[in-house]
Amino acid sequence: MTMLLDKPVSAGTIAPAQLRRSLPQALTKLDPRTMWRNPVMLIVEIGAVFTTVLSIADPSVFAWIITGWLWLTVVFANLAEAVAEGRGKAQAAALRAAKQDTVAYLKNGREIPATELHLGDVVVVEAGQVIPGDGDVIEGIASVDESAITGESAPVIRESGGDRSAVTGGTKVLSDRIVVRITQRPGESFVDRMIALVEGANRQKTPNEIALNILLAALTIIFLLSVVTLQPLAIFSKAFQAAAPDTVALNADGVTGIVLVSLIVCLIPTTIGALLSAIGIAGMDRLVQRNVLAMSGRAVEAAGDVTTLLLDKTGTITLGNRQAAEFVPVNGVPLSSLVEAAHLSSLADETPEGRSVVQLAALPSREPGLMPDAVFVPFTAQTRMSGVDLPDRQIRKGAAVAVLKWAGKPSPEVTEIVDRISDEGGTPLVVAETGRVLGVIHLKDVVKPGMRERFAEMRRMGIRTVMITGDNPRTAAAIAAEAGVDDFLAEATPEDKLAYIKKEQDGGRLVAMTGDGTNDAPALAQADVGVAMNTGTSAAKEAGNMVDLDSDPTKLIEIVEIGKQLLITRGALTTFSISNDIAKYFAIIPAMFAAVYPGLDALNIMRLHSPGSAILSAVIFNALIIVALIPLALRGVRYRPSSASALLRRNLWIYGLGGVVLPFLGIKLIDLLIQFIPGI
Amino acid sequence: MTGWIFAGSLVLALVAVYRPFGDYLHRVVTGTRHNVVERGVYRVVGVEPGTEQSWGVYARSVLAFSAVSILFLFLFLRLQDKLWLSLGVDPVNPHVAWNTAVSFVSNTNWQAYAGESALGHLVQMDGLAVQNFVSAAVGIAVAVALVRGFAAKKTATLGNFWVDLTRITVRVLLPVCVLATLVFMVAGVVQNLSGGTDVTTLTGATQHITGGPVASQEAIKLLGTNGGGFYNANSAHPFENPTTWTNWLQMFLILLIPFSLPRLFGRMVGQNRQGYAVVAVMAVLALASVALTVAFEVHGAGTVPQAAGAAMEGKETRFGVTGSAVYAAVTTLTSTGAVNSFHDSYTSFGGMMPLVNMMLGEVAPGGTGSGLYGLLILAIITVFVAGLMVGRTPEYLGKKIGAREMKLASSYFLITPALVLTGTAAAFATGNNGTALNVGPHGLSEVLYAFTSAANNNGSAFAGITVNTLWWDTALGLAMLLGRFLPMVLVLALAGSLARQKVTPESEGTLPTHQPLFVGLVVGVTVVLVALTFLPALALGPIAEGLS
Amino acid sequence: MRLPAWLGQHLAALRALLVLTVLLGFAYPLAFVALGRVPGLADNAAGSLVTAGSSLIGQSFTDADGNPVPRYFQSRPSAAGDGYDPTSTGASNLGPESVVDTLSADPEEAAPSLLSQVCARSLAIGELEGVDGSRPYCTPDGVGAVLAVFHRDGLTGPVTRAVSVNQTGTPFLPTYQGVPVEPAQPGQDYRAQGGVITPIRGTAPSHPVIPPDAVTASGSGLDPHISPAYANLQAPRVARERGLPLDRVHELIAEHTAGRALGFLGDPTVNVLQLNSALDGKS
Repeated sequence: MTMLLDKPVSAGTIAPAQLRRSLPQALTKLDPRTMWRNPVMLIVEIGAVFTTVLSIADPSVFAWIITGWLWLTVVFANLAEAVAEGRGKAQAAALRAAKQDTVAYLKNGREIPATELHLGDVVVVEAGQVIPGDGDVIEGIASVDESAITGESAPVIRESGGDRSAVTGGTKVLSDRIVVRITQRPGESFVDRMIALVEGANRQKTPNEIALNILLAALTIIFLLSVVTLQPLAIFSKAFQAAAPDTVALNADGVTGIVLVSLIVCLIPTTIGALLSAIGIAGMDRLVQRNVLAMSGRAVEAAGDVTTLLLDKTGTITLGNRQAAEFVPVNGVPLSSLVEAAHLSSLADETPEGRSVVQLAALPSREPGLMPDAVFVPFTAQTRMSGVDLPDRQIRKGAAVAVLKWAGKPSPEVTEIVDRISDEGGTPLVVAETGRVLGVIHLKDVVKPGMRERFAEMRRMGIRTVMITGDNPRTAAAIAAEAGVDDFLAEATPEDKLAYIKKEQDGGRLVAMTGDGTNDAPALAQADVGVAMNTGTSAAKEAGNMVDLDSDPTKLIEIVEIGKQLLITRGALTTFSISNDIAKYFAIIPAMFAAVYPGLDALNIMRLHSPGSAILSAVIFNALIIVALIPLALRGVRYRPSSASALLRRNLWIYGLGGVVLPFLGIKLIDLLIQFIPGI
Repeated sequence: MTGWIFAGSLVLALVAVYRPFGDYLHRVVTGTRHNVVERGVYRVVGVEPGTEQSWGVYARSVLAFSAVSILFLFLFLRLQDKLWLSLGVDPVNPHVAWNTAVSFVSNTNWQAYAGESALGHLVQMDGLAVQNFVSAAVGIAVAVALVRGFAAKKTATLGNFWVDLTRITVRVLLPVCVLATLVFMVAGVVQNLSGGTDVTTLTGATQHITGGPVASQEAIKLLGTNGGGFYNANSAHPFENPTTWTNWLQMFLILLIPFSLPRLFGRMVGQNRQGYAVVAVMAVLALASVALTVAFEVHGAGTVPQAAGAAMEGKETRFGVTGSAVYAAVTTLTSTGAVNSFHDSYTSFGGMMPLVNMMLGEVAPGGTGSGLYGLLILAIITVFVAGLMVGRTPEYLGKKIGAREMKLASSYFLITPALVLTGTAAAFATGNNGTALNVGPHGLSEVLYAFTSAANNNGSAFAGITVNTLWWDTALGLAMLLGRFLPMVLVLALAGSLARQKVTPESEGTLPTHQPLFVGLVVGVTVVLVALTFLPALALGPIAEGLS
Repeated sequence: MRLPAWLGQHLAALRALLVLTVLLGFAYPLAFVALGRVPGLADNAAGSLVTAGSSLIGQSFTDADGNPVPRYFQSRPSAAGDGYDPTSTGASNLGPESVVDTLSADPEEAAPSLLSQVCARSLAIGELEGVDGSRPYCTPDGVGAVLAVFHRDGLTGPVTRAVSVNQTGTPFLPTYQGVPVEPAQPGQDYRAQGGVITPIRGTAPSHPVIPPDAVTASGSGLDPHISPAYANLQAPRVARERGLPLDRVHELIAEHTAGRALGFLGDPTVNVLQLNSALDGKS
């Protein structure tokens, strides 16, 4: 989706313009029917309505300023959600543009609008036409421009059969002609789902979000109770201390309605309540920015919980191809002879392996064309070797059995070398010339740079990495050891994968895996997080709960990090929100009751100007902190992979202690400014 | 100084018994053998000891047993004049009888009567003291059921209530009480069925020296964290607590089971260090509270203590200020409520500490059983917030804390503050605060204390308030009933929900719940949540009084 | 016949309660009642009775009118009934800021504050023992030295009026911040009228001669002990009344002083009944 990111949606920072654009949206969200979904903020809104009525009935500067800021508190909360949604909306608009009114040409010759296509319809798409819906190629081969979905401009090949048969509606055939069987229901195309996802339409609350909401609701009820039940006690105290004068906060009828509402709003967890849905939307958004589509928020959350990662060896852990690493001559053959023969035999071999042999030999470059009398013998599946025929000799390299047979000389020494290389996880290529075996080229699976560190990091995060490979157990063990994965599954069949996942899950672990082939589908469905490659089959995409548009299997690691970051952001802001209350008490309790019991002024440790300014400062701080934290909610708190204790310690310091200290400073600062307002 | 030695020796003794006694508790609740007394009880009850109960059946058994107990005790109190050893007292009036029945069955032992003048020996011995045993056993049983929930792997059952009740009573409470009774008798605690003896004093007046089966009741009053005194003066009475060393022994008995249960918890979940973490949370809170209470009382701020020269009003000479202050902290940190001095006359902040101790939710270390399950609930809430902060679905001991678990834990956490706050507000709104002896902030503290004590099943009192009125007996009875059994049902439901889960294995990514950081966090969460909930009310009571 | 499940459960509960009552309510306590008949434990189990009472239960050493009998060491004040009544144990339950008396001509209506009780006791003991009975926050006539101070602006501003709330006679202070102090009228609630209750510290030493236990009531109302300090304070009077050498009285006090239990628990105490009995030669 790089195309959609042309306008950089830089994480975290929000331009004032963005806030302005989201404002109307924020205001429409004041509708109580919308607010109902967020009980914490609904209480604030009800409070704001109540103080508005009180302010009209008994107007004062104090009352109106409080009322204004209470409304602002609600608006700020809605703004956070609107800004988060706004980013998705921009992306959705771009996607809609890609989804033109296409016409489907059915195989039987009929033409119908793409929107009326049904599951199982078969359509023909010619060069230059847009594919009308998601489906599998059942006939032909074509190059397809998928930039509308993936942002990648280079065309890709789609052909019938195999794992590259899936096509996506809205992409364009550039050459040739394909016949596609539609695999989607009307209105449920991939693009439709993408639009729904990025817009956050019918966003479901995730399990952790529900649990957190329950905790927040409980806290809200407790604070509501502790404030409401304060009233008879306040009346009693005021009556007892008859000498106490009435203040803005307290009179013979108890704590004034405005102050009571202010206290409730300051105590209930408004900060996290206001930002909770923005955090969730932004978490999905971060995935989208990395070209990953999660089919549900639940999957994103599950990614944070993953304890076992199943990674395919080829392409994920190792580079896709093997490279020559060593020349091993047999006894009596000088190394230089082996190197020269290997070099000559590979000159015309354009496979990555062949090129790597030339590279390793590091002999002066000789263009094949400069050797007119050389005849190059290409590799075939029958001969299982390649080579070169020179006037004076013939050279062959290839699989041990084939080359030894060609050379006609079985050699126990060669067999020994071949076995050793296999044990080390390599692939042996035997090199021979007419009549004698020269030696063996050791082709190695090359582990991608940085993978070892990455896996060590995973281990610190408590995640087990498991390598999946079709190699024999010997080879697999060697590569696994080199890459530093915790376990491997060798000669893996799809059934093995599925069984492995089930075994892990029975042990209480959560498993993530990537896959692209149809035969991966059961395992993808079984895994807690199944990431399908966009290049894969529709079956794989259907089975997984995420699709990676870049088809990059290492993305799994980033997905896990995003999942964790989402949860951490929620936890950190909850801690921050609750810690904030301590300072607010020190502002509001003396403001309410020092007039009755002057000794309570000792609690006014911030030395706030007056009861009115103290309460107002707390309310203003409470509202402003929401705006101040919107960028953090959208960006997510910084996540560095480390152990749980290290993470907890770090986040506690920042958001726990910070949450305690910051409001003392903030409230005092606001008090210093607003004490000059007349009437406060 | 003597206070620190006193508290220090108590700590050493508790440290010494933590492992052996905790291990014994563990053997009692996990063993498969049943002794002859227990088999006899099972036969009478009609229970097959091998039968396992689901959480629902377990909860219904708890409720049935408690309901029957309340009814039985109510009738006992109403009919006591017709029974043997009634000492000629009248039947207890209906609302006091209701209040008392609920109070003893709920392990609260709030007393809206004066033992020496209102009750005969039989109702004390066979009504109240029996409930002292079984209500404590019920608390431990529920805690054990919750721990079984943590320890279980995908099961639907939590053990058998009748077996737990019987074993805990027969193998834990009774043997320790037998020893303690003997020691108390040696110290001078009375144990007879006499209606009392009239003696002529040195100046020729007549004094009625009371009697009663006190020693046997005293032992379980403390061991079961019940706290209901045989006499009105409770453990201040020389016949209940005659010497300074019985004073020490009383506190030891009070703390013995609550501080040893974490060991059972650690053993049952297979990680002793988890038990150490839980006991560390309890100990940190308890030590801080004891230190503050003693410091406030020894400092002796306030007009009357300043005038008297020390905060000695309501305190016994043999216990002194420190021996009284430590006891006040201990009795309220556990849900005991026995008193050896009268909290109402404490300094403002010294008297606030017992109140705050109870507001902590009776978790440091809390009542027998109820302390452990209360603390585990707080640990769950802490794990939830902290767990999110490490980027995982929060889990405690391998059990995921999801929506259902949070719903149950949050509701648990809501119940007592809701009862305390609404009860207090209702007393003021209806004018029933008028029965408070003291005026102003102190009167407010008396009302707040009454509801805090009842809802948290403590039973101690800022005793100045007159509570044997219809309104108070009814309201406090409800607070005790709901404050005991709603949380229990929630705890059992939680246990059921946890038991059904599979166990997520621990890894580097798991929030470690046995390290000092987590211990500190649970302490912090507990203190902050309690402070935030009750600070407004406290500000108008003890804080206003203390800062005047 | 099968019972409904809920009824069966409750019947099982009843059976459990009954069988446990037999065990815990009869077998256990009665075994100890029986054990309490065994010599060695019998005295304790019966209430540690001595010639003139129980060695564990304190008593009043006053005459029929409630006046101290001077030849006896006096116990602490008691809130149990009319004093040391074991059928009505308990404490005063008055708080640390109980400083305003309810004044009334009718003794039934009148209720002294805890402060005034402390002050009155201190004054009486001072007179009895012939020592200085003054205490902080106490008037010379033995009530709480407390003013209701009226300010112009409620809790602040210049003082407009001052009332000594516990005194109907001459106030302990002639003026307060320039305003003459009025005596109180019975039946008036000066706080409700807008007065701020202000205890006045006075000049008494912070550690008065008369120790704290002498002026405060115990928790049980049956405290059998006083502090060694209070016993020593009373020694000259008792020696004088009985014609005993003071040293002899001090010796007896020492004999009846219990140190800290096990050397570290609690405070040293003097058992008043045993001390007085010893003086009477009845020990």
